[in-house]
Amino acid sequence: MKRIIALLLLVSALLMSCTGCYFEGSDDGGADTVLGNGRSVLRIVSGSENAELEPILEKFAQKENIRIEMTYLGSLDIMRLLSEDNIPYDAVWPASSLWLTVGDTNHRVKHTESISITPVVFGIRKNLAENLGFINQEVSVNDLLKAIQNGSLSFCMTSATQSNSGASAYIGFLYALLGNPEVINSEDLQSESLKNQMRDLLSGVDRSSGSSDWLKNMFLEGNYDAMVNYECLIIQANEELEARGEEPLYVVYPYDGLSLADSPLGYVDHNDDKKETAFLKLQEYLLSTDVQNEIQRTGRRSSYTGVSEENKDIFRSDWGLQPDRVLSPIKMPAADVLFECLNLYQTDFKKPSLNIYCLDYSGSMSGDGNEQLVKAMEQLLIQENAAKNFLQASKNEVNILIPFNSGVITTYTATGAGDELEALYEKVKNQPVGGGTNMYAAAVQGLKMLQDFDLSQYTPAIILLTDGQSGGSIYDFESVYTQLGKEIPVFSIMFGDADEDQLEELAQYTNARVFDGRDNLTEAFQTVKGYN
Amino acid sequence: MKTKLLGLGILAIVVISAIVYVWYSSGQTITEIHGYVGGEKIGLLEDEEIQDLLKDRYKLAIDYTKLGSIDMITADVEGKNFLFPSNQTALELYEQANGEPVKSEIILNTPIVLYTRSAVAQAMIAEGIVSISDGVYSVDMKKLVEAIESGTTWEEIGLSQLYGSISVGTTDPTKSNSGNMFAGLLANTLCNGVADENNLNEILPRLQNIFQKLGYMESSSSDLFDQFLKTGMGAKPLIAGYENQLLEFAVNNAEVWEQVKKDIVMLYPTPTVWSSHVYISLDESGNVGIDALLDEDIQRIAWEKHGFRTGVYDVPTGAENFGVSGLAEEITQVAPMPDANTMEQIIQALQ
Repeated sequence: MKRIIALLLLVSALLMSCTGCYFEGSDDGGADTVLGNGRSVLRIVSGSENAELEPILEKFAQKENIRIEMTYLGSLDIMRLLSEDNIPYDAVWPASSLWLTVGDTNHRVKHTESISITPVVFGIRKNLAENLGFINQEVSVNDLLKAIQNGSLSFCMTSATQSNSGASAYIGFLYALLGNPEVINSEDLQSESLKNQMRDLLSGVDRSSGSSDWLKNMFLEGNYDAMVNYECLIIQANEELEARGEEPLYVVYPYDGLSLADSPLGYVDHNDDKKETAFLKLQEYLLSTDVQNEIQRTGRRSSYTGVSEENKDIFRSDWGLQPDRVLSPIKMPAADVLFECLNLYQTDFKKPSLNIYCLDYSGSMSGDGNEQLVKAMEQLLIQENAAKNFLQASKNEVNILIPFNSGVITTYTATGAGDELEALYEKVKNQPVGGGTNMYAAAVQGLKMLQDFDLSQYTPAIILLTDGQSGGSIYDFESVYTQLGKEIPVFSIMFGDADEDQLEELAQYTNARVFDGRDNLTEAFQTVKGYN
Repeated sequence: MKTKLLGLGILAIVVISAIVYVWYSSGQTITEIHGYVGGEKIGLLEDEEIQDLLKDRYKLAIDYTKLGSIDMITADVEGKNFLFPSNQTALELYEQANGEPVKSEIILNTPIVLYTRSAVAQAMIAEGIVSISDGVYSVDMKKLVEAIESGTTWEEIGLSQLYGSISVGTTDPTKSNSGNMFAGLLANTLCNGVADENNLNEILPRLQNIFQKLGYMESSSSDLFDQFLKTGMGAKPLIAGYENQLLEFAVNNAEVWEQVKKDIVMLYPTPTVWSSHVYISLDESGNVGIDALLDEDIQRIAWEKHGFRTGVYDVPTGAENFGVSGLAEEITQVAPMPDANTMEQIIQALQ
């Protein structure tokens, strides 16, 4: 008998440890960050601004033995995801409930609660804000527009079709240019003078980004005057700037163009009671008094009560912050009008992109790698596909294709959003594969081609895909780069056996970032395109 | 060894018979009924105290699918025993489509109210839009509509901290019951009575204009109310909702309520309309739900914990227990909602 019991115990122990193995080794679905190492898992798809809350989430993950897998996507991507048949996440956490309710047409999200509040504001170098007369003043969007139009202010913002902060700012601009109507309607958008003014205004955008958190990081690495971003991320940027002994940003709340991000965290119901319990536990934790206090220390406001006395030191008045301000946002247009606004931004208003695709056609890409590449480019170049993700080209956009192996194979240039652009897809598809890898040669060729353009009229970027260790060296690249005298980001997509160090080096040198295309190349290309 | 084995055997028998007993006693007697329910009542149906009473006294469990009050009339009712919408228009529509239901009964009531912040309430009092009597705030709908239609800004009534013109935030009237009923209330206000076929053409353009200016509207009453409380006075200065939303919130979130109650004001439109939660039974087993939900104790809990008034003409007791100041004892100024056909035309015009 004893032996039988012992045997049973042994078997069950083995079973237990196996389930352990299974969970530990389970696919994390390409999450950006994994917190804790518990056996039960909560997969959360979230706006990038919540990356700043990871230490707070980590504590929960450790304490409750629940593993949290964070995947960061723009709020508009989250909206699109919610309308798909399969949502491969347990929870959604976009920047604003607008995108959640517009996307969740099948009512699959429940237990939604706002975790914190933060407004979308302008952060302007303090000396410049002073010169512009913005210190301690009520500033309207028009005041900002004037400064942009007369060339005394340029700024960075996220893409309005990818990220909530960019979309909010853009809607604010529309109201101001339309003379602050009660609400924007479809007819308003047809006005020629609006179109001209908006193009003019967005020509003042220095750099764009697909995500708010990365915009902040990019800002800190570059040399810019101002950015549109969440109040909480401007506070974080300032803490960093101050630590470096640099000039902080001054926060301006445009009174006629303000929007709020209410950070709703909702549960995606897959009929799994255990997950639901784990989710509710996390939500309760985040809304508990102590944790709300910690969240306020990251520059966010709490629901119901705003900023408590003891945390007002974070919202420094010498940085222009107004923790007691009544935040009175603009009205968002009805959903159909909103989408019309976003389409116009993408296809007409935004500064045209100048994308240089350096694509690896070396021998190692043959077969599956090449097939994936062709599929991914089909989603960007064929405009009907691109439109599904608001990634269409605009009419003055320029797209250059540089297929490479151990050297540049050839180059193709397409202007506009029509046949020329779609014809590039045939080139991508028909290009044969073979030879070695030298991504530097392709990037240098890209830089040289940029010399033929008036770069003030475009937001240029090199988008580089490679799957292997590259020959050549970054020095080849640097010498040409410095001659150009302008910051051209080289976004790269890591694939196959690409050398991450080489790509990171290039990204750091050009104030760009590396995307991982090994899990899903199409998604990686879409994300990169969202940055430009 | 043998005694151990015997012990284990006895233990096994005890465990097995316990399982069988529990399974037998629950499986045999509890009837589960299924139906569509408007979202406003989910807090009530999820209330454990109510679930226990249903089980103990009526051997009943109520299973539901959340669905909008109007949508549920045209939804597939295969396998459903009842519908539980949040207004009587739904019953009218049901009767038009299917004739008399097996049985129907109003179970719960709550009036449409407006929610605002004290600074806004004070400014509206100064404008003569709002008045106070016995601590209860009433809003003169005619004057409010005048202010909305003329495009008066918040700043013009002394609220320079608020951006934009006076408006009432509401849920999308084509999707959600509270927005729908507020549209009915506005239609009544615009025609100085109860909107119907005769005056509809005249008021529809004005109604469209009022709603068009709202831009994006939430599709759920609870989301709108939640945002009103959380995003502060600037974001949602004035919204339409149900009286029971605040009462339910105050009881179930006592700690938060303690912090915010000084600033939250409930305004009763004069006249208002009732949101009457009518239970429509689709078959014999659905009928049990009516008797059960009208149980005295369930009705009491519906009031005490969820803020639903349970008999239109009864004055509920213990109103002070909510800790909500300005709660009206009786709702005296009430107009009927426009009839179902009129409401349908209103909804179409607002689509």
